[in-house]
Amino acid sequence: MMLAFDEIFDVIVIGGGHAGCEAASAAARLGAQTALVTLNLDLIGQMSCNPAIGGIAKGHLVREIDALGGIMGRVADRTGIQFRLLNRSRGPAVQSPRTQSDRALYRKEMRKMLEGTPNLQLRQGMVVDLLVQQEKIRGVEMQDGRRIAAVAVVIAAGTFLNGLVHTGRRTYTAGRAGEPASIELAESLKQLGFPVGRLKTGTPPRIDGRTIDWSAFQAQAADERPVLFSFSSDEITQPQLQCYVGYTTPTLHEAIRRNLDQSPLYSGQIKGVGPRYCPSIEDKVVKFAEKDRHQLFLEPEGHDTNEVYLNGFSTSLPAGLQQELVRLVPGLEEARIIRPGYAIEYDYVDPRELGPDLQSRKVSGLFHAGQVNGTTGYEEAACQGLLAGINAACLVTRRPMFRLRREESYIGVLVDDLISQGVDEPYRIFTSRAEYRLALRHDNADERLRAYGRELGLVGDVDWERFNRRRDNVAGAKAALKSTRLRPSDAAYSAASAGLGDLRSSITLEELARRPGITPELIHRLLINQGELSVALSDVETAVADDLYSGYIRMQDAAVKRLRHHDLTPIPQNLDYRSINGLSHEMIERLERSRPLTIGDARRVSGLTAAALSTLYVVASVHN
Amino acid sequence: MDTIVAIATSSGRSAIGLIRLSGPDSLSILQALIHDPLFTPEPRRVYLKGILRESGELLDEALICFFESPHSFSGEDMLEISCHGSPLILRRALDLAQQLGARLAHPGEFTLRACKNSKMNLTQAEAVRDLIDAQTDAAASQALRQLSGELSATLQPAKHKLIQNIVRLESALEFVEDDLPQVETKQISGELVEVTNMIAALVGTFASGRVLRDGIKVTLVGRPNVGKSSVFNRLVGIDRAIVTEIPGTTRDTITESIILGGIPVSLTDTAGIREAEGRIEELGVERTHRAAADSDLLLVVVDGSKELTTEDLGILEEAAKAKHVVAINKSDLPNSVRSEESLSEFSVVHVSAVTGEGLDELTAAILEPFGTVDSETAGLLITDSRHYDLLRRAQSSLESSRELLDSGASEELVVVGLHNALRFLGEITGETTPDDILGEIFSTFCIGK
Repeated sequence: MMLAFDEIFDVIVIGGGHAGCEAASAAARLGAQTALVTLNLDLIGQMSCNPAIGGIAKGHLVREIDALGGIMGRVADRTGIQFRLLNRSRGPAVQSPRTQSDRALYRKEMRKMLEGTPNLQLRQGMVVDLLVQQEKIRGVEMQDGRRIAAVAVVIAAGTFLNGLVHTGRRTYTAGRAGEPASIELAESLKQLGFPVGRLKTGTPPRIDGRTIDWSAFQAQAADERPVLFSFSSDEITQPQLQCYVGYTTPTLHEAIRRNLDQSPLYSGQIKGVGPRYCPSIEDKVVKFAEKDRHQLFLEPEGHDTNEVYLNGFSTSLPAGLQQELVRLVPGLEEARIIRPGYAIEYDYVDPRELGPDLQSRKVSGLFHAGQVNGTTGYEEAACQGLLAGINAACLVTRRPMFRLRREESYIGVLVDDLISQGVDEPYRIFTSRAEYRLALRHDNADERLRAYGRELGLVGDVDWERFNRRRDNVAGAKAALKSTRLRPSDAAYSAASAGLGDLRSSITLEELARRPGITPELIHRLLINQGELSVALSDVETAVADDLYSGYIRMQDAAVKRLRHHDLTPIPQNLDYRSINGLSHEMIERLERSRPLTIGDARRVSGLTAAALSTLYVVASVHN
Repeated sequence: MDTIVAIATSSGRSAIGLIRLSGPDSLSILQALIHDPLFTPEPRRVYLKGILRESGELLDEALICFFESPHSFSGEDMLEISCHGSPLILRRALDLAQQLGARLAHPGEFTLRACKNSKMNLTQAEAVRDLIDAQTDAAASQALRQLSGELSATLQPAKHKLIQNIVRLESALEFVEDDLPQVETKQISGELVEVTNMIAALVGTFASGRVLRDGIKVTLVGRPNVGKSSVFNRLVGIDRAIVTEIPGTTRDTITESIILGGIPVSLTDTAGIREAEGRIEELGVERTHRAAADSDLLLVVVDGSKELTTEDLGILEEAAKAKHVVAINKSDLPNSVRSEESLSEFSVVHVSAVTGEGLDELTAAILEPFGTVDSETAGLLITDSRHYDLLRRAQSSLESSRELLDSGASEELVVVGLHNALRFLGEITGETTPDDILGEIFSTFCIGK
């Protein structure tokens, strides 16, 4: 069959959300002629849910994206209206930057960024079919009949695949409230034989800020010293706003319980699985009935809008009822809902079908990124988009595929979790998912990944020089920490030793920094007192953190290595799992789906029992 | 998969010897062994059949039992042939099975196949090894307990408590903006102490557990002609060592395995220690010193009817540095009062190798330093050095975590040791994945900013 095409590109990206934007930008900058096809050009970079970027572990992802040369960090820095470093009181490995974003500004900046990218073209329209020949992607067909050819296609369709919105008993097909769903594309994926599942997510109502009694809430200010996402940013540009914290009441809980029959979650109407860490307000009052209050956050959506995001109040109850319930929150007695909350069900494709490059094993040249893989979150989507975009371009330019390992990045953890374990609820990143958490800090993402970005061609000369300078500065700070000693005779000594008990005779700043309660700020001040005037606080932070964790990382490595010495045992790739006596049907299916290369890979296959793993180990060792 | 064969009972003459086959050809090999190609035994029923040589001549009358896959130890078709216990007959039957296509099994291969067929997990496999190696009833009952998963079950509460505390600390790290209860350092510290103590108690049973499994080495030492060999023979129960009136008769060391009070004991008789009078005796004395250094307990024998000599005293002084028991032999003869006085510092047992008097007391005294191990009433004992090692590592990981917690370190450091401990325990009980922890967090706390 000869296919006639209206346009020809190297790479097509379907979807202009956080995954699609990164994918399109990366592929184009790596030299591939790229088209970003989206339903509505005015909604590129839309934040469908909460107006914020980052957070614990998510902030790590953004900094990794930035280190590799992605764009999310830069856009977030330009549009952030409340920067906060979370977990400031804890160790540097679990601190993570987060910002509230101006939703409209984010869209605008993202579109500007894409429109300024060479090799990248934007196309508005709906993709209805994937054109596949001999298990290779050839292009896509649009609703208006246009056919576009490409060597690689990235699907980043978010919640649009077979999207179904629920508010109360009412349902309608939509990709987001008010936007059409992609029904045909979802069907096309099913036709190609992809295993498709159903997930659910939800969003809370947006309130008119002029109807809120702000005095009933507790204000939460931005950090005085903002920590930014991009290693290329110097400072924030947006004026900072406050968020507000409030609480639900038992009366409100009671009202929700009385109306559960109107909830599509509890009537059985919603079949998809929702995220446990982002429950609806209905779920909260039912599953945690003993709690007499739940926390709510009022988050302004931007400088030029009255819309306020009611974080913590995700709901799929009928819109009219939402209005009544919201008014039971102290301070929201007069509040008016601008946009009601809703739940949305959508299709996802089992990511165990993908390789570590996010390319489909079934259809070569087809990449999946973002919610189509069962993840949730802008940051999770963006990092997959970046990886898929890089590899789509690598495929086109015949370069080796790019993958990241668990031990070097959160992105590697996320992708490995997805492709080896699949998902049974929307997948979100957590620091505890990373075995090497102590080594994967937000502030050393550049040290870990910048060189990859440079080698790929996503990190320009200016950024590369900047990185090398920072590297030297951190090394300098480390040397200064080692060589600077505090002696009891020093004036700084008494200041530092106040409340620290025994500082004994003399101590290096490196040793001092290891003590609980000693902040990098104090160490930085002491360095300056000692005449090290040029050293920057951020470099001291990195130097101190490197030293603080080195011993633990060694200890953990030793423990992991000791227990995982079987992990490198290869599993023969022609192994017929069905021929192994004693593997249950279920175990065989799980293994066939993920085809682990080593015992270590098999260990991470979800649902694989210990008995099946030891059986597999025995078989593998007999084979070897 | 080929069919493997092995003699399953220990080597040496015994009443019954068991030959075991496992694999798809088990039944056809049986049919050939009894020259009856149509014989189709009912699984798990015992038949009396003649095992025939190629010539058709009877080799042995044997009890045979066929186990059909998957209902067998290994999960494969299996055959057990109980022959008479002559090593020659067994050897011959084994040869026949091999001629008929079976392969001689590697050590542990039956268990390996059982593992492979998911008949058991690794912990259970280790227990089977112990069961096979078990020398005494007490050790066998320990191995059986492990086989039924008692070690895993015993560790569950410790593991559960550990996970609970990991959940508290992890959720404080991950959900900093959620309305979670404050981390109560004191409470967590206290619970970690509890977990550590539980594990430490298990670790502490290893000494007794190892004694139960590996037994103890006891070496008899003493001046020549005090009756070491007579005491040795009494304990062994047969005339194993040559006893004469001539001092220095025992020139070499002799070792016998015996069971004392349910404990396997490797008992070694040695050449008497004195200034050697010849090269051979000199070598013998040297070996004595070596055996003594290698043993868990020294049984010093002195002649109670005579005064203690300087040689006796020298030996006693040496023995006092290790675990030891002093047997005052020849209690059937009038004892020397002066000897009694010189021995007042030692724990002594009066025995007569001639009459057998005092032997029970001696047995008790030998076992006493190793803790009374009564398998009927004792709790679970750690007998496997791999388990011991893992538990010890878990214990020290927990201890370092608790120190960090108490010193006010940040949670991500505290949990390193807790996760390591969980990994070590997981090697015994089965793994806990990060998803299990997250699941526990979500069911414990209302998360969802």
